[in-house]
Amino acid sequence: MDIVHALTNGFGVALQPINLLLVFLGCLVGTLIGVLPGIGPISGVALLVPLTFALKLPPESAIILLAGIYYGAMYGGSTTSILLNIPGETSSVVTTLDGNQMAKQGRAGPALAVAAWGSFIAGTLSVVGLMLLGPLLAKWAIRFGPAEYFALMIFGFSTLSALAGKNMAKALISTLLGLMLATVGQDPQSGISRYTFGLLQLEDGIDFLVVAIGLFAVSEVLVLLEEKTPNAVRTRVGRIYLSLKEFVFSLSSILRGSVLGFLIGVLPGAGASIASFVSYTLEKQLHGARGSFGQGDIRGVAAPESANNAAAGGAMIPLLTLGLPGSGTTAIMLGALVSLGVTPGPQMFQQHPAVVWGLIASMYVGNAMLLMLNLPLVGLFVRLLSVPRWFLLPSVLAVSFIGVYAVNNNPFDLLLMTIFGLMGYLMRKFDFPLAPVLLGLVLGYLMEINLRRAMAISNGDVSFLFSSPIAIGLWLLAGLSLLAPAILSRFVKREALGDDEI
Amino acid sequence: MSDRVLGILVLLLALGYGWLANRLEVGFFSDPVGPKPFPYLIAACTVLAALWLIARPDPNPQWPPRAFGPAFALVLGSLVAYAYLVVPLGFILTTTLEMTLLSLLFGARWWQGLGGALAFSLGVYLLFTYGLSVPLPAGKLLGLA
Repeated sequence: MDIVHALTNGFGVALQPINLLLVFLGCLVGTLIGVLPGIGPISGVALLVPLTFALKLPPESAIILLAGIYYGAMYGGSTTSILLNIPGETSSVVTTLDGNQMAKQGRAGPALAVAAWGSFIAGTLSVVGLMLLGPLLAKWAIRFGPAEYFALMIFGFSTLSALAGKNMAKALISTLLGLMLATVGQDPQSGISRYTFGLLQLEDGIDFLVVAIGLFAVSEVLVLLEEKTPNAVRTRVGRIYLSLKEFVFSLSSILRGSVLGFLIGVLPGAGASIASFVSYTLEKQLHGARGSFGQGDIRGVAAPESANNAAAGGAMIPLLTLGLPGSGTTAIMLGALVSLGVTPGPQMFQQHPAVVWGLIASMYVGNAMLLMLNLPLVGLFVRLLSVPRWFLLPSVLAVSFIGVYAVNNNPFDLLLMTIFGLMGYLMRKFDFPLAPVLLGLVLGYLMEINLRRAMAISNGDVSFLFSSPIAIGLWLLAGLSLLAPAILSRFVKREALGDDEI
Repeated sequence: MSDRVLGILVLLLALGYGWLANRLEVGFFSDPVGPKPFPYLIAACTVLAALWLIARPDPNPQWPPRAFGPAFALVLGSLVAYAYLVVPLGFILTTTLEMTLLSLLFGARWWQGLGGALAFSLGVYLLFTYGLSVPLPAGKLLGLA
């Protein structure tokens, strides 16, 4: 009853003309980002945050727009995987296996259609999950004190380090670099400057947008600079339809992919890429010899495309209820919300119902919108791939300049952006995952403040951190999460997984 | 091998980071923990992670051919120059130059690159300053403001 009432109010927010327009804009931009290889959702969201600030959007409108880009990108990623064997995002890599085979057999239409319908069903189911589980988790987490929060962060960082990259030592170093960046600037409790090297511009700390845009957008352009890939691609798409028989045939795969993707999405560090890989592998193991996986089995498209959309919905749960983002994109959303005066966490469901329920309602609207947008317009989106790279990539850089400059109106940030661009380039070369840097930066302050509060309560007694059952449980989970790679490697070849840039 | 060198660099970074925390001067009005222990914790964990990396390095990464070096340096240099020039020269001029340079490196003909860069820079400048009221530097040469 409570939920119905809250959701009604949420739709009241989501259906306001400005917010409807923003859902549409978010879904459209997200689909474009999904289609275009080279621009990931993290760069896309980071580049649009300054715009939401400039337009003085209220927090609910801003998050509606940013979330639309996030799940919209999951829809778009499948298109080029199927048609051209080029995944638009890492989360659609596995879709190329059967999707492109289907296209080669002249069944591109059903492949695209099942990806769109699977995404719609999974996206909608994951919002239902978010709506039902979110308030429960928030009610439970409201009792968290500083010790529990500190343990929660440790748990988040350990799962992240275990799952985010191929090499755990490197993922850990990425996280720690982010935490180091978080300590730059004036310490809020004692007022002394740390790691500013006498530079006034660093007193307020390093802005997460400068880091995000440098690390992801600029470094991506630098990496693409050395790749000599064909400039423009053209392709034709036939009619996009799905027969009832094919739909019924793939429905169970869609549902399994949705549940699995949702659960994986909730975990910090395990994003849409892992979800799509694991669900594909599961389908293959279930149907084994009876399927034709790798040779154009429609279930090999349905399952991973459902899973990556469900993961995007699942990832909103820890963000909204605990204030603990599990991926690079949700970390930027957290940063944006905090800048707009809304701190995500257990109190958010009570203090900012318009933001939470407006977002949930907008995700129902957005998923339906994406389905209507995608089925008839795929051909149009694919034509975007004929925009030459010599125009597209410099334009991304120009928009990065605007985004970074708009943060503080200070060209110093452009220098920082260049430094982070170089750092991102080197990290990509050495196979360090990038998202943990962003998470460390966004969460470092909260982690330190909770540690210091806990120590203030206990008068410096460290055992206070392990004093409550919840805290002990979280420490144990943190320890267990270090075993996750061993479990995961039974399902997925670690090398097959790219950097999870979702 | 290159991972081992990197591991040593990370180790030095962690030690330097910890040493800087040690040099902080804390006044009387602080909480019981103070601003030092959290950096110490980070430094200690980083030292361990770096040692782990040195013990178990990955194979060497694939580097681009040496001939690519000058182009890469040119782009980095131009980005630094951009940061210094954008306010005095203005957004439109600097962005056009930067985009043209990159377009050429991405394989455009000079007139394609220049035309695309000028059109895009001018377009977004007008969109952001007039449409969205995001102030971008107008510059002293092209006094458009």
